[in-house]
This record gives sequence, structure tokens and C-alpha cells, in this order.
Amino acid sequence: MKFKRFLVLLFVFILALSACAPQPVADPPSDEADSLAQETEAATEEAATEEAADDEAGLPAACEEDEFGCAVIPEGETIKVGMGAPMLGDYSMFGIDISQAVALALQEDDGFEGWSYELVAEDTGGTPEGGAAVANKFVTDPTMVAIAGHIFSGSTDAAIPIYDKAGFPMMSPSATNPDLTQKGSAVFNRLAFTDAAQGEAAANLLFNDFGFTEIAVMHDGGTYGQGLADVVAATFEDLGGEVVAYEAVTPGEADYVAPLSAVDAAEPEAVYFGGYAAEAIVMMNQWSQAGLDDVLFFGCDGTFGVEFTDKTGANGEGAVAASLVPPDSEEKTAFDALYAENFPTEAGELSAFTWSSFDTGNVLIAAIESVAFVENGTLYVPRGALVDAVRNSDFFGLTGSVKCDEIGECNASGPAWYQVVDGAWTPLALASD
Amino acid sequence: MINKLKNLKLTPGLILRILVGLGVLVFLGWRIYQTAFGEGTYGPDTWMRFLIAGLVIGGMYALIAIGYTLVYGILFMINFAHGEVMMLGTFAGYFALEAFAAIPAPAAAGPDLNFLNAYPVIALILTFLAGAGTSALVGLLLERIAYRPLRGAPRLIPLISAIGASIFLQNAAQLLFGPQRRQYMNPDILWRGMGWMIPVGGKEVMLTYTGAFSFVLSILLMVALFILVKRTKLGKSMRAVAENKQAAALMGIDVDSVISKTFIISGILAGAAGVMWGIHNGLFNHYVGFIPGIKAFTAAVLGGIGNIPGAMMGGMLLGLLESMGPALLGLDFQLKDVIAFTILILVLIFRPSGLLGEALTEEKV
Amino acid sequence: MKTILKNGLRAGITFGIVFIFLLLIGFINVGSTMIGDILGTNVQDQVPVNNLLITLAILGLFTGITAKSGCGECKWWMALLGGLTAGLVSGILAWLAIWITGTLSVGGAELQTYLPNLDPEDMAFLRFYSTPSAAANTYLIYLSLSSLAGAGLAWLLSFKNWFSRGWDTAKTKVSSWFEDKNVSDVIHNPWATAVILAIVGVALYFLPLTWGSYWNYIMGTVAIYILLGLGLNIIVGYSGQLVLGYVAFFATGAYTFALLTAPTPHGIGLNLWLAVGASVVVSTLTGLLLGLPILNLRGDYLAIVTLGFGEIIRILIKSDLLTDITNGPKGVTNVGQPNWFGEVFNDVNYMHLLMLLVLIGLFIAKRLKDSGTGRAWIAIREDQTVAQATGINTYGSKILALLLGAAFAGLAGALFASRNQFTGPEDFTLMVSINVLCIVIVGGMGSLPGVVIGAFVLKGLPELLRELEDYRLLVFGALLVVMMIVRPEGLWPAASTHFKQPSKKQPSEAAVEVKQ
Repeated sequence: MKFKRFLVLLFVFILALSACAPQPVADPPSDEADSLAQETEAATEEAATEEAADDEAGLPAACEEDEFGCAVIPEGETIKVGMGAPMLGDYSMFGIDISQAVALALQEDDGFEGWSYELVAEDTGGTPEGGAAVANKFVTDPTMVAIAGHIFSGSTDAAIPIYDKAGFPMMSPSATNPDLTQKGSAVFNRLAFTDAAQGEAAANLLFNDFGFTEIAVMHDGGTYGQGLADVVAATFEDLGGEVVAYEAVTPGEADYVAPLSAVDAAEPEAVYFGGYAAEAIVMMNQWSQAGLDDVLFFGCDGTFGVEFTDKTGANGEGAVAASLVPPDSEEKTAFDALYAENFPTEAGELSAFTWSSFDTGNVLIAAIESVAFVENGTLYVPRGALVDAVRNSDFFGLTGSVKCDEIGECNASGPAWYQVVDGAWTPLALASD
Repeated sequence: MINKLKNLKLTPGLILRILVGLGVLVFLGWRIYQTAFGEGTYGPDTWMRFLIAGLVIGGMYALIAIGYTLVYGILFMINFAHGEVMMLGTFAGYFALEAFAAIPAPAAAGPDLNFLNAYPVIALILTFLAGAGTSALVGLLLERIAYRPLRGAPRLIPLISAIGASIFLQNAAQLLFGPQRRQYMNPDILWRGMGWMIPVGGKEVMLTYTGAFSFVLSILLMVALFILVKRTKLGKSMRAVAENKQAAALMGIDVDSVISKTFIISGILAGAAGVMWGIHNGLFNHYVGFIPGIKAFTAAVLGGIGNIPGAMMGGMLLGLLESMGPALLGLDFQLKDVIAFTILILVLIFRPSGLLGEALTEEKV
Repeated sequence: MKTILKNGLRAGITFGIVFIFLLLIGFINVGSTMIGDILGTNVQDQVPVNNLLITLAILGLFTGITAKSGCGECKWWMALLGGLTAGLVSGILAWLAIWITGTLSVGGAELQTYLPNLDPEDMAFLRFYSTPSAAANTYLIYLSLSSLAGAGLAWLLSFKNWFSRGWDTAKTKVSSWFEDKNVSDVIHNPWATAVILAIVGVALYFLPLTWGSYWNYIMGTVAIYILLGLGLNIIVGYSGQLVLGYVAFFATGAYTFALLTAPTPHGIGLNLWLAVGASVVVSTLTGLLLGLPILNLRGDYLAIVTLGFGEIIRILIKSDLLTDITNGPKGVTNVGQPNWFGEVFNDVNYMHLLMLLVLIGLFIAKRLKDSGTGRAWIAIREDQTVAQATGINTYGSKILALLLGAAFAGLAGALFASRNQFTGPEDFTLMVSINVLCIVIVGGMGSLPGVVIGAFVLKGLPELLRELEDYRLLVFGALLVVMMIVRPEGLWPAASTHFKQPSKKQPSEAAVEVKQ
């Protein structure tokens, strides 16, 4: 009985808190609304009817001319960068890692003319539906200038048209589906290399450099994994090789002995896997149970990461993967130390996108600072100009050169290949080199 | 039998059932013929691997399925949060093993040894106790907080409460322990990926130590449970409560306490399954209980919910279906759940109360 | 005397455990930050330790109130004694937790390896940046004192059952207002009805114009879930069939619409309104296909079979086997959008369309419920054997319910795909079925206003709880349990249901009641 009451009280308490929590929207300094609810309403309305609010303030000419108007950031507010990411649920490690790295980039910057940067990371659950919901929320925020993300391709796909309409530039560190840049969106850019580019490179490496003629191709049934696997299989057969087995597994399981054994029965020389580390680790640990001992495991950038080597140990020896991870450099060491200092995990432990996420943050900062200006104590960021500035980025970060082409592919250098040697990822050394 | 046939009315449903049944039989026969006498994609060694994988996972499904069946048999409710009970057992086992690995062993046991490797048997027993104990406690609390106040409510109400509890426990575990996957620290003698090599058809098939260990342990636990239910006084009162709560109460059985004990027992089995899951598969996070939970629920229904041998059989059968089904039908392994659920639907169409039937009669439910 | 001490002890232990739980999930920190945000006392992301004291005081107040509520009508000193006991017990637990974690943290133990919320920075804040034992003492004192204050306050106000009583009072007031002669005269005057309807219509027309795209999106999702809820309500609420795979029909509707209208992969480009019709028809046929062989299964078997069917549909959609037809895991993009006088539908148009369909759906569901078929369903739900004996074709009625439910889901699916301009297999997970089922149950089985309220609570509330970010789903789960315990008949129970409050009934009676 008492417990019942307590639960009710707890619930009411939490509800009360949640109802009172302020929303991440700007309230203009002149706004004397007496309740938070009114403030939020006012801010939302302001976003909806931008001109009305801007007329009072007297907009700078650059904003009037801009196709999408300006982001208006009063003094005391932060310059907000949005992110739609899976922050909860099965793939939350991606969202948490990527948002941490971007937040770090924003937090390390000294700000622009007294305005500091802030990351607003919202949960999409990794789904298209969630992606659209978050995008719709972001575009109503007048202090939101750019989007670092989204994180998964499906969620990004659903969000692009919304940002397109509102003129919010995007830079995704991890959405790799080739189709995303093929739709003629002006706002979408990405730092990740596409699955198509990676798949072709992988098939070439397998056929030409390793000299394999019979491989098996597996994937996790997701957009990303299946896309990669299809490209690899098609390219490998075009090159003259044979794909002896093509198998898809159910993601999120802990036992892949059966599908691996089925692949083993076809006696491939190597197994290409398109998917994420979660499944790759399980597979590697069951590699010898399935009789695949002397077969090469060839992964992708989704399987790369410290987690893979940590959790496969000796079983993971010899596995190959692609990565955005830069070769060791001074900047990278400094970043890794900074990351470890700020967060409970090491850089790269939760996902392989830590470094490209950090670069994403910095690219966006550089673009914002190239177009933003201050007038009458208010910071203005012309949205249309920012969209162009992000597309025209010319930046050198941890992952190398960032230079976008006309459709928004900003990773010019392509994948780097790594192999597990003595329990650590080392740049792949080929016999032919 | 013949009378029964005479009384059959040819409803559209029945015609559909017969057609579906015939179609399935023809298809299965053709596939099995093809696999056995056709080109022979898979050698005997591959089938052996399928068998081992299926039995190991089937044993764990069976243990979890018994939890569903026990609770269902007594309360007629689906304990949707049972998978989460198992998940917390997995976490408890993980922390126990981490602790044992951190404790140095006395010098007498050997140089540079931790407690885990110096006394692996004791450490493992304690780990299982920790896992089973935690799960039992969670099960008990779950019943007290989320289900007991709902006794006697329409059956959907406790189901929603269970779904809520499941969401709560999953997210609580994520918030408490973080979202990252963790890996079990097994003692060296029971390290994953090591095993006996069995020669089959000219090749060597590995039977892992962890797999054999899990399978044997799950069989032992099931036997123990069977004895408990059939031979002990508690088992007798559990059966009595399942049969008729009112009559049982009149006979002097404390119904509430029997229900609590049922949750404890199913918690113990789920916890043990959770620790086995960790030891055999290694990786886990807060999400580990959800899929096995659904699968075990399926297994329990497949065997006939409320029926303990049915749950055991259903679990094993589901494990085997998952590992062999796709190969047998020549489909992708991606579709193993489709096969498992299709078999479930087919079984229920022809035997509406599961393979072994319910332990209860229709009137009592 | 003894009871009040026992109550105090129990409340203290409960709240002590809650405190430790909140500490370990990092909520004590987050709560303090949120209080700072509300009061505006956070300076440059630095949360003053005073906020921590406020958090503790809130927790303590609740401890005291809970402890007091155990003793009912008791003297002031007993209430205070209970509050103090509870405060001391929870304080001691908090003392232990803070002292142990604090000492470990100061000693350099890497607690966050296992408990990621206990990183040294947060721990220092929780220790008020002082020594563990000093901090622990502060916790003990603060929790005890605020619990004492809470008990005193509760005694002064002596509120009891205020939650459910408040709700019931409000409801009685509203219904008595409706029964009032003058009001009912007005209501039953056809002109007044017309005026009210016109006002509601105008309001519904203008509301989406003011919401902005974000709220239109959320409200659109709520509306789609209302449609889903109405459909499942026919199956579960009216005819009493427990279906856990409702998402299958939603998915077939969405995919039928998407594949018929999207340029890829088939490029059929069917007329949109025909495509909507096709979605409804295909979903209904799916319902028929599933329903014919299995609808004579009993409750829980039906639940797992339909659950399996939902999963089968989802896995098949994304599988390699059907990639050529469904576009696999990539999903279908650029799904067709309707035109409105030459202009492509925007968010406001969608909202209007959805509202119109929800109103039509509500009307249909209402008419169905009042029809002969509807009464047959309810008879089946209450007792199938008796229903059969009275000459109802139970099998046919159940199939009909499933088909109608599936048709609603098909319609909702088509709208969902069209509005999102995208549909993919991951939109159709088991959680969707569970959410819709929760809408029906939380709202009140068989109740139409219940479905609307349930959809707002289940799809709208999580959006509001977004402010709580990481704690959103945790709270949602707890909320479902609390809901079921406090109001198992739903937020707005159907007037004619035979559900009773759970009471200490005889088991056999309960067993009779659960029989479908």
C-alpha cells in the first residue's frame, strides 16, 4: 500500500521535474514571459514566423538577402550544433561516442566573439521515424546553426528533406549509405567514405593484393552491411573471382556458429563481413568452432575499433578491417588523451567514428566562423551562406584532408586498411608492397 | 477416432489448415530428400556443428522457458520481464567473476595466480550462486511490486505491467552499468573457444568446453527441477496451486508464499541460464535478455505452456530449429526466426495447445 | 507506536534504496543540474552545491510524507516520529553509500569502469568537494531533517489518496456538469450541437497552423497511433483477442502504399488514393490469411503466434530473399505524397487529413461498437462459450474483428509511409505492437476516448519526457507499472465493461473472469 503511494509520488515528482525542465530554445532578452511554458511557445512561434520577430530587431542586410535567413543568437546564448543519434537502446554506444567527440571539439574551441558552442544531441533510436522527429524539432530552434549527423543512414535519409527546406547544413561523420549524396541535397555532406567506395576497394584488395579467387560474403541484414556486401560481391565477381557463399545473419545475437559453419562448408579462402563490431566480435570468437581456422576474416569500417581487439583477444589475430582512423600522429595522441580525460571510455572504444566525429565538430566550427558576424550585440549566422561554407570546407584534421566535392563527399583519402597483429590494429602490410 | 472424423465440419479454416499442412509436408519432404540425396552441400562435420550449436543454445532456452511455464502454470500470466531477470543474472555473474579475478590467491596455490584461476571450481560455483541469487531476488521483487497488487485483474493488466517492468529493468541496467558490451572473464580452464576435437567425416569438429559445460549443467538443473516438482512438498503445493488456488488454500497451502517461491525458482533457473550465456558467449550488455526472453516464451508455447517437460522439449527443439532449419530448407540464416515462428504457427494450427499439450485442462483457464 | 516505527522503517529503507539507485544512475547529479536550470542558478555549467541540497530536501520530503501516510489519522508527534525514523534510516543508507563510494573514489579506485555514472568529477560534486565522511554526515542530517519536515507537512495537510481522489473528483465534476439540466438541454439542442461541432472543427482546422512543423510531426504520429489504437481496440478491446503482432498489418499497409507509389524499386506510380485503398485491402487480406487458421487458438497462444507473425513480416521485408521486391533493409524512399490543388501536402495538410481520418475512424468504431456485431464481440469477450450458446457465430465474428482491425492498420500504415516519405523495416519492430497494445490498455479496453488519451500518453508523453533524455524510457517503464497498479481499468474506462478493480477475489473467480 505504502509502496503504491510511493510509486505515485515518485512518478509525480519526476513528471513535475520533466514538466519544469526548460527546453533548449532561445528566449530573446526582451522577452519578459513569466512562465517557462510561455517562453517556449514564444520561441517556437518566433521560429515559425521568423520575419515577424526579425522585423522588430531590424535584420542585417546579409540576413535579408540570404535564402534561408539567419540564425539569431542573442548574447548569453550558445551557438548550437544539433545531432540526431541513437542515444538509447541497442546501438547507443555509437550515439554516445560520436556525441562525446563532437561535444569535445565544440567545448575545446574558445568560441566566436564571446559566444561558445554547444552540442544538442537528441535520441533518434537509430530509426528513420526518430530521425525525422528530431530534425523537425531542431529546425524550429533559431539558435541552432548546423547539424553534426545524423548518425545512421536511415535516420539521416529521413532527416535530409527537413533540413533541406530549412537550410541547415549537415556533416555526418558516420552515415555511409551511397544513396544519401545522390539525391541532390545541398545541405548534406559527410566525412565518412561511402560504402560503395569502400566495397570496391575491399574487393580489389582481396582479389589483386591477397590473390584470393574464392571468397564468402556475409552481412548483418542492415542497410549498411548489406550495401557493402553487395558491392564487394559484385565487384569481386567482375574482377573474375567467385563468391562461393553469401549469407546474412540476424544482428544482435550471441551465437553465429551455425551460419559460420554453413559458410565453412563452401570452403572459402576469405570471409568478407559487412556489419558492425558487435556481430564481428561474436563471429571471430566462434571462428575456430566453425572450422574456419585458416580462413581470413575481412571486415569493414564498422568492425574496426579497439573493442574488436579487446574482446576477441587471440581469436581476432589476422583480421582485416577498413577505417577512418588516422595513423598515429601527435594530434591524435593529444586528442586521445583529451578524450580519455573527459569521458569514462577510451577514444575508439565505443565506435570507430570518434576521430571523424571530432573533425566533424571542427569543420562545422570553421565554417560557422567564416560566415558568422556580430551586429548590435547579437550574433547572426546566415544559413544559406553557411550551407555553402560547409560544402566548400577545406580543412585538415585528424583523419586527413577534408574537402567536399559537388555532391558532399568530403573524405578525399578513402579507407585505410588495418590488420590485427599481436592484438593491435596495425596498418596492413601486403606481401606485394 | 472415426467418430471424430465423422463429426468434422469442413469450415474454411479447416480446409485451409489441411491445405497448409499438405503443402508443408510436400515441401519438407522435397527439401529433406534434396539435402540427403541431392548434391550434399553440407558434410557430416557441418551437421555435427549445427547439432552442437543447437543443443547448447537450446539448453539455455529451455531453462528460461521453464521460468515462463512455471509462472504461467500458476498465475496464467506471461511474465514478459523474465528475459530481464536473466539479464540481471548475467550482470551479477560478470561482477562476481571480475571480483574473483581481482582477488589474489594465497601463495600456497601457486605464484601469480588470482583466486579465479587458483580455485576455478569454487569460483564458478560462487558465480552461479551470485547470478541465480540475483535473478531470484529480482524475480521475487518483481512479483511483489509489479504483479501481486494485480492478482485477480483481467489477464491483460499484468501483461502490460510486465512489459513496463521489462522496459524499466532494461533501461535501469543501461543507466547503472553503461551501454557498452562487456565480456565475461572465464577461468583459464573454461576459456571460450577451447574444446575437444571430435573427428567427424574426416574432419575435426570442436566441442567447446563452455558448450559442453552449459549443456550438462542445464540438463542437471532441469532434472533437479523435475525432482523438486514431482517429489518434494513444495512441488506438490505448487502443483496444487496450479490446479486450483481456492482448493489449495482450503487445504492449508499458503498460496502467496507458493507463488513467491515459484518466482524464486524461475529466477534461479533464469539466472543460471544468464551466467551460462555469459560464460559460453562472452559478450553481453543490458539488451542480452530480450531476445532469449522472446525465444524462450516461444519455446514454452511450442512445448505447451504450463507443461514443464514441454518447455524443456520446446527449448531444445527451438535451438535445433534455429541452427539446422535454414540449412535444411536451403534458406539464409537471416531467416532462422522466420522458420522458427512458422514452425510454431504450424504446430499450433495442428495441435492448438502445444506439442506436449497443456498440463491443465481447458476448463481451468 | 509500533506500527508507526515499522512504517517509518519501511519508508526509510525504500527511500534509502531509491536514493542509492538514483545515485548510481546519476540522477542525483542530473536532478541537481535540472534544479539549477529551473532556478537559473547554474553559472557557466557549474552547478552550485546548494542545488544538491535541494534535491536531497525533495527526496527527504517524500520520505517523510510516505512515512506519515502509513499511520493514517495519527497524532502529530507520531507523524513526526515516523518521519524522523524514516529520515534516519534512509539517511544511514545514504551515509553508507556516499561514504563507501566517496572513500573509494578519493582513494583512486576506477569506479566508472563498472558504474559509469560514478566518475571522479561527479563524485566530487556529490561530496560537496569535501571529505567523504563530512559529506556523508551532511546527507544524513539533511535527509533526516527534510523527512521530519515532510512528515510534519503531511500531517498538517493530511492529504490522503489525493491522487486517485483528485482524479475521480474531477471526473465526477465533469460528468455532473454534463448531467446538469441546463447544460444537457444545450447539449441536446441540435443547433447547439452544430455550433459546438463547428467550433471544434474550426479549432481543429486552425490548431495545426499554429503548431509549427515539430509539433505537427508529433501530433501526426499521435494521430497515426490513434488510428492504430482504434483498430487494435476492435480486436483486443471489443472481441477480446490478444494480438501481439499488430505491427504486421501496419507494415503491410505502409509497404503496399510505398511500393505502389515510390519511383524505386518498381516505379508503378499508382494514383495515391487508389494506393491507400490497396493498402487497406492488402492489410485486410493479410488479416484473413493469418486469422483463418489461428483464430480458434486460446488467448496466450494467439498472442505468441501473432507476435511471431509480426516478426516474420519484418524479417522477410528486410531479408535478402525479398530484397528485389521490398528494397530490403534500405527501405523505400520518396514515397508518394498527395496533392492539394496542385501543391504537395505539407505538414499542416497532413495534420488536417489525419484529424479528419481520426474523426471518421472514431465514428466508425463507435457505430461498430453499438451495432449487433459489436454486442456479439463483447459477448465473446466476456464468455465465448455462452456467446456460442446464444447463437453467435464466434469464429466469424472474431475473424471480422481481426479484418476490421487490420484495415485500420493498413490505412494508418499508408499515411505513415506517405507522411514520412520513407518506410523501412526497422519502423516495424515488436515495440510498435507493444506500444499500440499499451495504448489500448492504458486508455481503457474497449473505450474510444481511452484510445485517444492512451495515444497521447504513450506517444506524446515520451516526447515531453525528452527533456529527461536518458531517463525517458526508464520513467516510461515505471509509469506503465504504476498505471496498472493504480488504475488497471485504464485512464478512461469504457462505460459498459465488466472490469472490476482488482480486489482480494477468490482465485477461481479470477480464473472465470480471465476466460475469454
